[in-house]
Amino acid sequence: MTPAQSRLLTAGALLALATPAVGAALRYAEDLSPAIVNPLFATTMSEARVNELIFQGLYTDNEELAATPALVESATVNSSRTAMTLTLRRGLTWHDGETLDANDVLFTINAMKNKATLSTEAGRVEWIESVTKVDDYTVELSFGGVEARPEDKLYFKILPEHLFDSTTVSRSDGFRNRPVGSGPYQLVRYNDDNSITFQARGAANIGELTMREISDKNYQAKLLLYESLEALIRVLPRDLAVLQNNRKVELYPYQTNSWWYVGFNMERAPFDEPEVRQAIANMIDVESLLAPVGTGDILSGPFVKSSPFYNHDVQPYGYNYGTASGLLEKAGYAREGDWWVDKKGNPLTVNLNAHQTLESAQEVVINLQSQLQGSGVKVNVDFLDEAAWKSRVWREGEFDVILSQWSFDRNEDIHEQFHSKGSRNFTGYNNENVDELLDAAKSASDPHAKKTALRKAHAIIHDDAPMVFLWTLDSYAAMSTRVSNVLIHPFYFFTYVDDWRLQ
Amino acid sequence: MATLAGAVLLAQLLLWLAPGDAVDIITGDPELRAAMIAQWGLDQPVLVRYASFVGRAVTGDLGTSLTYRPGVPVAELIGPASARSLALVFGALVASLTWGVGLAYITAGRRSLARRLVQIVSVAPVFLLAWLLMVTLNETTFSLMEAGHISRPTWFALPDEDSALKTSLAVLVLACGSSALTEVHAAAEDALTRIRRSGYVDAARARGAPLWPIVLLNLAPPLSSLAASRAAFFVGGLVIIEKVLHLNGVGAMLWQACRMRDYPLALGITVVAAAAVCGARLAADLLRVTLDPRLRETG
Repeated sequence: MTPAQSRLLTAGALLALATPAVGAALRYAEDLSPAIVNPLFATTMSEARVNELIFQGLYTDNEELAATPALVESATVNSSRTAMTLTLRRGLTWHDGETLDANDVLFTINAMKNKATLSTEAGRVEWIESVTKVDDYTVELSFGGVEARPEDKLYFKILPEHLFDSTTVSRSDGFRNRPVGSGPYQLVRYNDDNSITFQARGAANIGELTMREISDKNYQAKLLLYESLEALIRVLPRDLAVLQNNRKVELYPYQTNSWWYVGFNMERAPFDEPEVRQAIANMIDVESLLAPVGTGDILSGPFVKSSPFYNHDVQPYGYNYGTASGLLEKAGYAREGDWWVDKKGNPLTVNLNAHQTLESAQEVVINLQSQLQGSGVKVNVDFLDEAAWKSRVWREGEFDVILSQWSFDRNEDIHEQFHSKGSRNFTGYNNENVDELLDAAKSASDPHAKKTALRKAHAIIHDDAPMVFLWTLDSYAAMSTRVSNVLIHPFYFFTYVDDWRLQ
Repeated sequence: MATLAGAVLLAQLLLWLAPGDAVDIITGDPELRAAMIAQWGLDQPVLVRYASFVGRAVTGDLGTSLTYRPGVPVAELIGPASARSLALVFGALVASLTWGVGLAYITAGRRSLARRLVQIVSVAPVFLLAWLLMVTLNETTFSLMEAGHISRPTWFALPDEDSALKTSLAVLVLACGSSALTEVHAAAEDALTRIRRSGYVDAARARGAPLWPIVLLNLAPPLSSLAASRAAFFVGGLVIIEKVLHLNGVGAMLWQACRMRDYPLALGITVVAAAAVCGARLAADLLRVTLDPRLRETG
């Protein structure tokens, strides 16, 4: 047994023997239990939320969603904004009692950067060129370029160095199911029913939290009404009215950085023609599509309306059959009977793919199909599961048109989606001006310059129409009225859980 | 063994044909993908992977989970889940045979309202029956609780809380749903009618000997064959019943493993399920040979 393994075992034993904190238990629902509890390998939102409970980052969001120190006591950035010295708070400990210090920060960054670790979160530290230890509580980060607000990127969770043998960490490392963090809760057990029990550490008011796996989303609201749960992360639009009228339930609206879109494969005919994409955009009545799935803001570009980068001068596309007809005729199509046909007489056809797990996607797809067919465009629909979606759409580009959504953290970095070299640019969008603007925004040290660049990019992307931007949905969490003092983080949900109370 | 190997090969081919793979579940990054594909041996031809799995499986090594619970040995995951699922299958088997034979004893050779009732209840698909029972129980109990007539039962609310009621409900639904009870009842009726009309029963009756040991002895061989085929049917029904009632057995795990393209886990569950079905058939054949001397003579 290696020293790290023996320390991990000791930590596990200590956790198992930990005295339960006093207080009632709050049960919340997830569709799927986390497969792995290790921030180096987080891929799902349920894992991100559990990580938020167990671990801490160097920085976190305050109630105004501005970066505020978490593990850090003080920080200084050099005058050229290419390096940062971080001093950690003293007296911090891991859940197993070990001291949290500079070695842990060093280890975490180096483990994420280590190619052999195969961390899915490596992108979060790409901008850090190197990290050095100044003393037990001080580290210095050197950046690959100029960083306007490095603290905005220091949210990744810090891991305990003493529980690992090296910075090459495996997904199957024992830490995955015996995680030790420094956050408000510690994981105390996995239960037979796939639920996970957490116990409070430090200042958290609620003694125990239980994550229940309720795979049927349609039944989660029922279980809240039956008082079998105390919290729902996100209420389905169709359940809103029932929960709103229940005296035992309180709804909490929160704004997410997520938006829905209809994306075109621009590397495939006929969607390589801007007129065809713009025509389809003009055939969609977005308001009618949105109505059955909830309320929200209709968008004209790749940011939510509350974002400083949203360009309010750009108006969303709306249903305008006259404009759509003109654009299609310009692209060489003619209306023959029910359908628009090309010069060879082939009807304009859209093969529409949607993700099976996208909430309310079925309603949207059916209405979208109906709208486009009403305007003369044939639509074939196929729903894909997670693996099929990622292989066909992301990896192989085997699609015509997709309905999907993007969710962003506080940085709202659209570089990967719209830069011609972006890793998530599967629409094949390629515009040199947008590339320059996105590069400029990425390296801008002046927030105003970044805002200006992204607003310009918003306008160009809207006109190029690689996607029809649809909406950002109003999100609601639902809690039992026994839970009070609730503030919800739009992305990580549990950031302010310390302050929650349960009667 | 050939059946087991065939079942695993079929499962392997189906998983291979399904679009996407285990790495797609985790990352879209090409560099990371290439490294993980190599690490997990997913770059090997499907038949090589099959041979490798079978080679390890015969030594008892089913590999480790890739995406469902990364790094956890498949045997460790399947063990407790199999016990829960086998209990359900065994319970459903006992229930359907007991109810089917009991009812057949009453209805065989005569017109009966009970037969119609069994057909009506049993015709509902397993998922629908489970869902309806769960919703009805929850809603009724909740109404009574809200009205102050009862206090909160320990099992409430389904399917969230683990309870004996939830397990019993699953057994009941598996034993009855998707025409399971009708088929057992019809087969038992058929066998009973034949036995009652047989010469050896007439002879026993003429001797004044008790009839039930003869009936049971002659009923056992056809029932054992029926039980073996029902066992296979119930194993198939586990996926649905465990998903609807949130029972963490191998059925729900298989569904999740396929969804997450967790090949070792899906194949491991296939091995266990196929072994259970083969075991049931073997037990039924042995019972038939033991009870029916004609099979021993011709065999």
